[in-house]
Formats: sequence, C-alpha cells, structure tokens
Amino acid sequence: MSKTHTPWGQTLLWGALVALLYWGLFHYQDEIVRLARTTTDACVVVANGETVYYTKPTPESCAEKGGTLVEGNALNVLVPIVVAFIMSYAHGAFTAMFWDSLGLKAAQKKS
Amino acid sequence: MELIQFIELDLTGAILLILIGFVGGMVSGFIGSGGAFVLTPAMMTLGAPGIVAVASNICHKFPKALVGAIKRHKYGQVDVKLGLVMGVFAELGMLYGKQVMTGIKNEFGAVGTDLYVSVIFVIVLAIVGTFVYRDYRKLKSQPHSEEHKVTRLARWVQSVNIPGTMVYFPGAKARISLLFVAPMGFATGMLASTIAVGGFIGVPAMIYIFGVPALMASATELVIAFVMGLGGTIFYGLEGVVDLRLAMLILLGSLFGIQLGAIGTTYVKDYQVKLTMAVIMITVLFSRVFYIPGYLSKLGLIERLPDDTLRVLKWAGDGVLALALLAGAATVLTALVRGMAEHRRQHEVLSDTQGIAQ
Repeated sequence: MSKTHTPWGQTLLWGALVALLYWGLFHYQDEIVRLARTTTDACVVVANGETVYYTKPTPESCAEKGGTLVEGNALNVLVPIVVAFIMSYAHGAFTAMFWDSLGLKAAQKKS
Repeated sequence: MELIQFIELDLTGAILLILIGFVGGMVSGFIGSGGAFVLTPAMMTLGAPGIVAVASNICHKFPKALVGAIKRHKYGQVDVKLGLVMGVFAELGMLYGKQVMTGIKNEFGAVGTDLYVSVIFVIVLAIVGTFVYRDYRKLKSQPHSEEHKVTRLARWVQSVNIPGTMVYFPGAKARISLLFVAPMGFATGMLASTIAVGGFIGVPAMIYIFGVPALMASATELVIAFVMGLGGTIFYGLEGVVDLRLAMLILLGSLFGIQLGAIGTTYVKDYQVKLTMAVIMITVLFSRVFYIPGYLSKLGLIERLPDDTLRVLKWAGDGVLALALLAGAATVLTALVRGMAEHRRQHEVLSDTQGIAQ
C-alpha cells in the first residue's frame, strides 16, 4: 500500500465546505420544500404552524381547506439538480480525502 | 386534491437517514451496481411515501453515477456509445414508468404507490437474489469460471443482422441490432422509475444478451444511470415529489460508505461479494413482505386488519430491514478488516523473505 496520504489540513478544509453546504440546505429547508412542492400547482394550507401542500387543487377544494392556491413553476425542478451536483461533487471529494487521510486505500492486488 | 406528505425531519430521523445512506453506500460500493436497493425500502420505513422515496433515491444517485462513469472511463471500462443509446431508451422507460406510478398515485393515493413499489421489490429481489446466489455457488466451486465467456444467447444476438438497425458497440466488440438494445434499455428505465434501481436489468442484459464483459457492463451502467437519473429527477421533480433533504442526507452517508465498500472489494474474493449481495437481497425482500398486508388492508383490497396486527407486521418489517442493514454493514466491515490484516501479514512475510534473501 502507498504510504502517501492526503494532508489533514486539505481534508478538513473540504469538510468545512461540505458542512457549510449542509448547514445552508437545512437552514433554508422550508424554502427548499416550498420550491419542490410548488413545481406543480399546489394548495398551501398552514395550520398549527405546520404547512401542508395539496397537489391537483381546484379553487373550490382549496378554499374549502382554507388554503392559498399557488401556481406551479416548472423551473423549480432545476433546484434539486443543481444542488445535487454541487453537493455530490464537494462531498465526494471530501470523503475520498477523508479515507485517504486515514490511510485506508484499495489493495493493489487481490489477496 | 391529493396529499403526498414529505416526512418531518428531526435530529433522530436525520441521523437515521445518514446511517442508512452509509450502509446503503457501503453495500453499493461493495457489490458494484444496484446497491441502492436498500435505500428505497429504508426511506419508506421512515415514513416517506413510495413515490417520494423512489424520486429522492433517483435524485441522490445521478450525480454519483456521473462521477463514477467519468472515473471508470479513464480506466477504459466504459462503452460510452452503448451507455448513451441504452440511456435514451431507458429515459423513455423512465417516463413510462413514472406515468404508471403517478397513475397509481392519482387512483389509489400514496398507499397505492407503497404497495406497487413493495410488490415489484419482492418480485425483482426474489429473481435477482436467486441468480446471484447461484453465481456465488458456481464461483465458489469453480473459481476460474469468472473469466469472461460470451453466452450462447449473446453470440446469437450478435449474429442477427437486421438491415438499418445495426450499430457497432465497442464493449461487445460486435454489431448489435437496436431492436435488441431498445427493449432492454426501456425495461431498465422502467424498473428504475419503479424501485430506483435499473441496474438489475441493465447489467445482466449487457453481459448475457449483448456479450459485454462484466466489468465493462457495470461501468457502462453508470452512464445509463446518469442519463435516466437526470431524466427521472426532472420527471418526478415536475410532480413535486423529490425531497432534496432526504436525497442529500442519504448522499451524506452514502459517499462515505461507497468508498469504504469499494476499498473492501479489493480485499475479498468475488464469491464473498456475491454471497453478501444475495443475503442482503433476500433479507430486504422479506422485510417488504411484512408491509404488504397493511397496504392491502388500507386500500380495502382485503378485510381490514386490526391495528395491533398492523403494528406487529410493521414492527416485523422494520426489524428485518434493520437486520439486513446491520448484516450488510457487518459483512463489509468484517471483510475489510480481515482482508487488510491478511494483506498486511502477506506483505510482512514478503519483506521478511526478501530481508533473509539479502
């Protein structure tokens, strides 16, 4: 096995970047859920501090639930795609460095 | 109006998803393609409706597939042309499969999708698990049978000449009619849109029907997975059922696990990998079986079951799935630790021998 490892400083720097990305995702999770649920037309009902999204709404059925009718925006579909790419790249780089820093490497030849 | 709820995420739920992603990733890295089959049932166990679990699983997979495909392309293991052609037909299968899923959702609600996903899971895992177990027995008794041999079926497929449909695929080193490639791609996409794992059809089809070597088939599957995963995220995203939080928590654990699992495979024999795969598949299959009566009861397709019975069945399903995840994690970690110790011992013996010789 090779004796060279990724320096911990570099690994921790990428780790901090990934932590920041995940912090952002969960700090804004309500907004992210709203974007996902309003990709298509939705009836948004807020009750007891909880937001519920109904799909395939009609103005009548939505009014009956006391909700607000929101017109869907198909462009919202780009959010999961862009976020998944960025986070997958950053976290993938970090995890590779993490195991390498720990000294865990693939065997060069199968035993 | 329809109500498809995203699950409430608290700290315990988030930690569980990360752990599930870690084990799923480890299994995925260890057995090659298709390891994500443990993730969809696990998300459903945590309360995500079937359609949300499948959509979020697809979303977490496609960037990983792209990175994997690029890495393996550098080693010359990817037939890009075959991957893209199958990917296009897989996309059509994905679109059709998503239509079926949303049709079920519109007709029977979230429970309908739970039942549909579970039944397909049970059927597919029973078939694939049996084949994998047979492979394990064969590999264990004849360790050299793992060399690539083109099957009789593949030789026949490669010999069929239908003018106007023939395409040369470097992976198979042969011209194959698109009339064979199209249905396999379509079926791969359709299965992926149903349980988020299309590799169960795509990889065996490339090996046994087209004559592509196993290593190249699993690498080419990553191209297909990327193409259909991107499409699947768009199709399901437009339905508003991709839960990015679920996808990214699974990804958080999965990327740690996948690399550990991939390292693990370099320390073990191929038949050990097959055995692990078969055991986990059959265990996950049984976990899903326990949920099916509950779904049938909720849909009114069987007599309503008492709440206590439903609770016991759910408890049994959760328990068996937890067992599958723990067994998967334990097998991979044990193989890795033992393999590394053995590897180190061999190196020490080699160094000692060289020292004596000098």
